[in-house]
Amino acid sequence: MNKSLQELIGKELDTFTFRVETGKIREYAEAIGDLREEYVNGEKILPTFPTVIEYWGGGYLAWYSLGLDKQKVLHGEQEYEYIGKIKPGDTITVHSIVEDAYTKSTMNFIILKKEYFNGTGQLVLRSRSTIVERH
Amino acid sequence: MNVGYQFDPIQKEEITHTQLVRYAGASGDFNPLHTVVPFAEEAGLGGVIAHGMLIMGFIGQAIGEWVSVDDLAKFSVRFKAITKPGEKITVRGKVIDDKDGCWVCEAEAVNEGGEVKVKGIFEVRK
Repeated sequence: MNKSLQELIGKELDTFTFRVETGKIREYAEAIGDLREEYVNGEKILPTFPTVIEYWGGGYLAWYSLGLDKQKVLHGEQEYEYIGKIKPGDTITVHSIVEDAYTKSTMNFIILKKEYFNGTGQLVLRSRSTIVERH
Repeated sequence: MNVGYQFDPIQKEEITHTQLVRYAGASGDFNPLHTVVPFAEEAGLGGVIAHGMLIMGFIGQAIGEWVSVDDLAKFSVRFKAITKPGEKITVRGKVIDDKDGCWVCEAEAVNEGGEVKVKGIFEVRK
């Protein structure tokens, strides 16, 4: 096991926030071609909309702080647990932590857990991303 | 619904470079591997590749057609193979278990040759 990789376990990343705007929901729905009326009208978010919160909220900057080689990084797995509802207009705050990090064959695996809270502090979503770094 | 029930597959239109540019802007994932052909060629990919999350989004679209997204409790995927512009994705799925008040279902996104791009599991509250 790579020592510096193991030291990442338990590392907390910078918190970020994002306001869920109706126009952003529509733009995301149109990019996928998922033109369900409630998405286009921005009334409801799509199941994968949390990725918009993550990227536009700036959460991807965390990847740099983990010291990963961007050229060699892949998204291996993604999991969402829908605990509450994320609604248009909500300001979502996301806390991230490295849940696990290990080496298998010639690749590093980093599991990032993110918890999404709404404006009243209610946990609404839990996300786990597996980042794979090729050696 | 019952265990073994097969959902009607959904067929997506061919993925285009323009769609990847739109998805980059919409999602905020501007990794040039998805939009800048010379960069992706230099990386040894022979051209740009689709965002894995776009393909997960296709499965999300199928879930919205199959069940109510309000009842979605969990949705997880494994990215198995890269997808390129010009490929056409079909999403198929079925109910595989009935557990803790949820239907457990599996879904996969495949191309025309049957190559599995993304494999997923989702749970829907009854």
